Amino acid sequence: MMLVGAFISHYRRHPFQLAALALMIVLATMLWAGVTVLTDQARNSLFQSEEAVAPRVHVVRTDGQPVGVAEFAALRMDGLCVAPWLEVQRPAPEGRVIGIDPLAMGCFGEATPGGKSGELDGTPFLDISEAKRLSREGYDSRLYLLAPNENAELPQGYALREFSLGPSTGELADSFLLNLDALSLLVLLITGLLVRSVHRLGIAQRQASFDLLYRFGVQRGRVRRLLALELVVLTSVCVLPGLWLGTQLAGVLGSGLGQALDSLFDVTLYAGSAEALPWQAAGVMVLLVLAVCLVDWLVPQRWRGALSSSRARLAAVLVVLAGLVVVALAPELARVFAGTALVFVGVGWLTPGVLAFLAQRLSDRASLDGAGPLTRWRHRELAVMFRQLALPVVALQFAMATVLAVQALVTTFESTFDDWLAQRLEAEFYLEVPPGADASLAADRLRRLEGIGPWHRVSRGEAGIVSESGGGDKTLPVDLFALAPISDLVAAWTLLASVDQPWQKLEQGGVMVNEQLARRRQLEPGDVLEVLVRDTVISVDVVAIYADYGRPAGEILMAGSALPEGFVARFESFSVNPGELAMAEIREQLAEVWNVTDVTVRDNASIRALASRVFGQTFLLTRAISLLTLVLAAAALLIMSWVFFTTRVWYFRLLGIWGLPAKAIRSQLRRLSVILTVAVTLAALPLGIWLTWVLVARINPLAFGWSLPMALYPGFWLELGLVAVVTGLVVAHLMRRQLVHRASGQQVKI
Amino acid sequence: MSSPVLAIEGLSKGFASGGQRVSVLTGLTLSVLPGESLAVIGRSGSGKSTLLNLLCGLQRADGGVITVAGESFDSSDNRDFDTRWAELRRRSIGVVFQDANLMPALSLVENVQLRANLAGLAGGGERRWLERLGVGAEADRYPDQVSGGQAQRAALAMVFAMAPSLILADEPTGSLDRHTADEVADCLFDVQRNSGCALVLATHDRELAGRCNHLLDLSGTP
Amino acid sequence: MRVRAGVTVLCLAMMVAACSDSSTEAGFAGLAQQPADVDASGFLQPQPGDTLTFPEDWGPHPQHRIEWWYLTANLETSDGDPLGVQWTQFRQALQPRSVESEAPNPDNWPLEAAWMAHGAVSFNGEHWFAEKLARGDVGHTGATAEPFEVWLDDWRLRAVPDSDHWRLRAQGDGWAYDLRLSNTNRMVAHGDKGFSAKSASGEGSMYFSLVDLRIEGTVTLGGETLEVSGKGWFDREWSSQFLKGGQQGWDWFALHLDGGEKLMGFRLREDDGAFLAGSWIRPGGEVDALGSEDVTLSPSSWHESEQGRVPVAWRLTIPQYDVDVTITAPPGNYWNTGLYPYWESPVSVTGSHPGVGYMELTGYSD
Repeated sequence: MMLVGAFISHYRRHPFQLAALALMIVLATMLWAGVTVLTDQARNSLFQSEEAVAPRVHVVRTDGQPVGVAEFAALRMDGLCVAPWLEVQRPAPEGRVIGIDPLAMGCFGEATPGGKSGELDGTPFLDISEAKRLSREGYDSRLYLLAPNENAELPQGYALREFSLGPSTGELADSFLLNLDALSLLVLLITGLLVRSVHRLGIAQRQASFDLLYRFGVQRGRVRRLLALELVVLTSVCVLPGLWLGTQLAGVLGSGLGQALDSLFDVTLYAGSAEALPWQAAGVMVLLVLAVCLVDWLVPQRWRGALSSSRARLAAVLVVLAGLVVVALAPELARVFAGTALVFVGVGWLTPGVLAFLAQRLSDRASLDGAGPLTRWRHRELAVMFRQLALPVVALQFAMATVLAVQALVTTFESTFDDWLAQRLEAEFYLEVPPGADASLAADRLRRLEGIGPWHRVSRGEAGIVSESGGGDKTLPVDLFALAPISDLVAAWTLLASVDQPWQKLEQGGVMVNEQLARRRQLEPGDVLEVLVRDTVISVDVVAIYADYGRPAGEILMAGSALPEGFVARFESFSVNPGELAMAEIREQLAEVWNVTDVTVRDNASIRALASRVFGQTFLLTRAISLLTLVLAAAALLIMSWVFFTTRVWYFRLLGIWGLPAKAIRSQLRRLSVILTVAVTLAALPLGIWLTWVLVARINPLAFGWSLPMALYPGFWLELGLVAVVTGLVVAHLMRRQLVHRASGQQVKI
Repeated sequence: MSSPVLAIEGLSKGFASGGQRVSVLTGLTLSVLPGESLAVIGRSGSGKSTLLNLLCGLQRADGGVITVAGESFDSSDNRDFDTRWAELRRRSIGVVFQDANLMPALSLVENVQLRANLAGLAGGGERRWLERLGVGAEADRYPDQVSGGQAQRAALAMVFAMAPSLILADEPTGSLDRHTADEVADCLFDVQRNSGCALVLATHDRELAGRCNHLLDLSGTP
Repeated sequence: MRVRAGVTVLCLAMMVAACSDSSTEAGFAGLAQQPADVDASGFLQPQPGDTLTFPEDWGPHPQHRIEWWYLTANLETSDGDPLGVQWTQFRQALQPRSVESEAPNPDNWPLEAAWMAHGAVSFNGEHWFAEKLARGDVGHTGATAEPFEVWLDDWRLRAVPDSDHWRLRAQGDGWAYDLRLSNTNRMVAHGDKGFSAKSASGEGSMYFSLVDLRIEGTVTLGGETLEVSGKGWFDREWSSQFLKGGQQGWDWFALHLDGGEKLMGFRLREDDGAFLAGSWIRPGGEVDALGSEDVTLSPSSWHESEQGRVPVAWRLTIPQYDVDVTITAPPGNYWNTGLYPYWESPVSVTGSHPGVGYMELTGYSD
């Protein structure tokens, strides 16, 4: 008991240290819990959006009449698995809602439409009776009868069609989530560094009392056990409020901020998942705290000193180089992750030393340049700080690098997403060719319409790429689609590489291939492809490679006029800008041509709005995560700097005794802390850019076969620099208070 | 006859302690001429350090007038108190503590340069001062690389390099062994007399105090 | 569970009184425990003195909350191996509707009643089970009294026109059956002219059975089609509250005894004790209602499985008829693992009155 008393007496004397460690654990748990919740929400939100826009198979009547309840009942009683899907278009903010019948979904098995768990937690999915009630209020609605993707034997008079509300987000979402997971791991690493830095600080200050206890005959093992126990108790106590705060914070960021920022945001989409405390996050946190704080006992004593030797620095450089090489050349994802970890370890190891070295150099330069001894002193103090604050400095560096990467990634995803929407929703309207109708009749009619805007006919089918190497039947199946005519609608397409005038060359019989196929077959513009369409093999030039995010399949694009005889379209549609005409008129014309009562027209603008909304929400959540990380890292730096300055406060006061006016001392303090944070930001910059590159150019192609464009956002660097300056100023302000406080009550006496 | 470097008239100072006011100094009046030295002795808590703090403006007196190098500070006059004192400390008052007089991030010579620079001197003679105080060989070392005595000599070099009118020394040899303490004290008195500045030295050490021209014993003061 | 979540959500979405007082906790058609404070407002509750009306009572009772059509069959293959078949269709109303008022418009996808069908085959120690759900009043599920027909999707029990037999067809993953049921006119009303008390305080259901069905047809298991024939037992039962507060579940038996007698007995397990009742049907067809004082029933052996612990062997005595038998389920796991798991197995009867039958045990799942 006496021992325990002696043990914790330190904290009685220095309650601030205990508070700082507790606060750090609370903050770290808060961050991690917040990140966990936000990541889950982002994931759910993406799943929801995917559910809402994923392509589906539905049953139509071959006579062109709409399907209704009677058809549903008849098909079910015939033993077919079909389920109703009633879309109701409501004005914003509700937007589109989808009525489904959960009781009819059982036969879909795992592929149940309308949410992974079958739960109808608000929009866009609700019970079909409720959706029907809404539609009776006068909103546009349409009933589909969904069928599982497998081909079922349909009774006479019915056919299966594919419909999608929008292009599937597919792998685009998966890719985003993979990146999000990678970033979450990084956040965990950062929190670990921060907790460790505060803990080590306390241990260093208590070392003298531990030594004393040892001299009194208390074995070191016993001290360690007590330390571990103390940590377990403290962590257990602090994790709970951290969890709660994290959940609350995630809630505020996820819904409140979202609502405030964008009234279009559909709050219900991400409601519901933040209610339960993420207990697994608590477990991870306790383990992490114990691991990072107690790892020293596992490291042999002689290694510890070695960590800062010049040989160790060389080792760190080698580690970084090895990491860079692995990341650049690794053929698989796991190794890229391992390489990234190596680079982070090495960079974290090196950064404080390098920054201190640079500060030292600056100080030497200051002497040579004839700058005052005061400048020299400031640079020297800076060098000391970089060494003493190594852990929080590295944590802040990692946090800033993460924030940079997240920002670049999210912005890249946003613009990619816009490109991708523009590519697939190129026209204002989209028209489905009804079953059994002849698309060429419609094309003739459209061609003759005066005043119509750009339009094209889209035919989708299958083709094969005949392998040049090796004999045998090595045809690679790909999706083929054809456009006719090649209109201005394709202007927004992103071509990754092309020959001159690619669209004209396409019209003249060339093909464009998507990035996935180009990567798989190492194709470049100018290459010749042997394409098998039905029974015909044709030789075609590759005229361009286009970005095709979010799906694994290879695809080739041809001009409709260049399609060989015998090509059978699996699916046909028209993309139309009505121009001077009203869409209703065009619709009527086509209904007449096809001799059907109604033609389904999709308004691409509303789909774009829907898709943008759900993605925007996910992006917002991701930004929230990175912001949280930055806030925590800055808070940690604040705490650490405070403690650090406490040990240096005498020297600032010595300057005062030497007659430097208080204002000048404050200015020195301000410069020191601002240079510190700005230097960390600068050190984070290359790491952040590199991390961005790894995410978009290495991880993504390896995981999904397509890359994201790499973009730099110097504007954001400036913003981050501003954050660094503000953090530095806040640190200086706090220190200044400490200077004033000390000077008033105490005599100058050591 | 030259005017005193330091003149004190009716100086008083007290502290609030446990709801009561405890007087440390009451109506103290004295003066120190250039080249003279004054030892302030007394038991712990008798007000030695307080007096030194008052003499360099780090604390403010409750009453009385302090004149240093011709600059007078009336305790009832608050105008520019801190600024005027800071200016005076920078150029004319050298302060030496028991230890920690040096910036740990700077070498000995850089410390001396910094102090001289603050005093507005062009610099150049810093090494000579270090040599004169017997630590010339250690000029480029850092404070944590030299002994306590060497550090204290460097602190003296720093003070002399700024050519002060008044040196305030608070137990300057308190952390040193007898032999080193004597050496440091020799240096202090030697240079002080030669440079003609005044010295106020607070100490427990009767022997050291005995080497000064004047003695002020604060033990009698309640 | 997927479908369960669906039903829960339906209830939440509806937010109608019917849902709140027969929440999922209450189970589908009373298959799980009922909350203590059941409020049956709006639904008709069977009373002593209520009688059966035909042909209407073959069809649905929209003013009652729950009802079922229930067939169990003890069949034999042409090789003489025993094979058990179960088919049940449940209706669970979310809101009551009077008999006179029109059915809701199917175009509105009404949600007044949810239907559920269970099909199971037990053979050689194995048990196949499937469950289907559907909303009522849309067309793909329902029941009619005249002509008699009960269906959900492509599962169907119906009276064959211009004949005296019924046909039952259902199939699931790896199993199917197509059965012909005859002798469909020998009806037994349980309890008091069809009112079957389910607790000492008078709650009960309307309940009648066809206890002597002749069945033949085919059962297909894993692609192999077996010719089968044997005895069947068909139940019709409806109520608005089946279990009252404090009752945990039931143990129900329908036995074909070799002497030509039929025995239906059930025990409702209560917090303190149990409520027992049944019917003794003589070979000539006369029915004696049995009460708690007439019957003893006690489990003698238990089966452990991941779904729960159930009694699989029982001793049943009816002193007034010198009945002292042991009822035993064959080895195997006969859980119907649907939305609300329960045990449904064929049984053999040994002792004073040997025979075969079916046993249903609810309220034992973990």
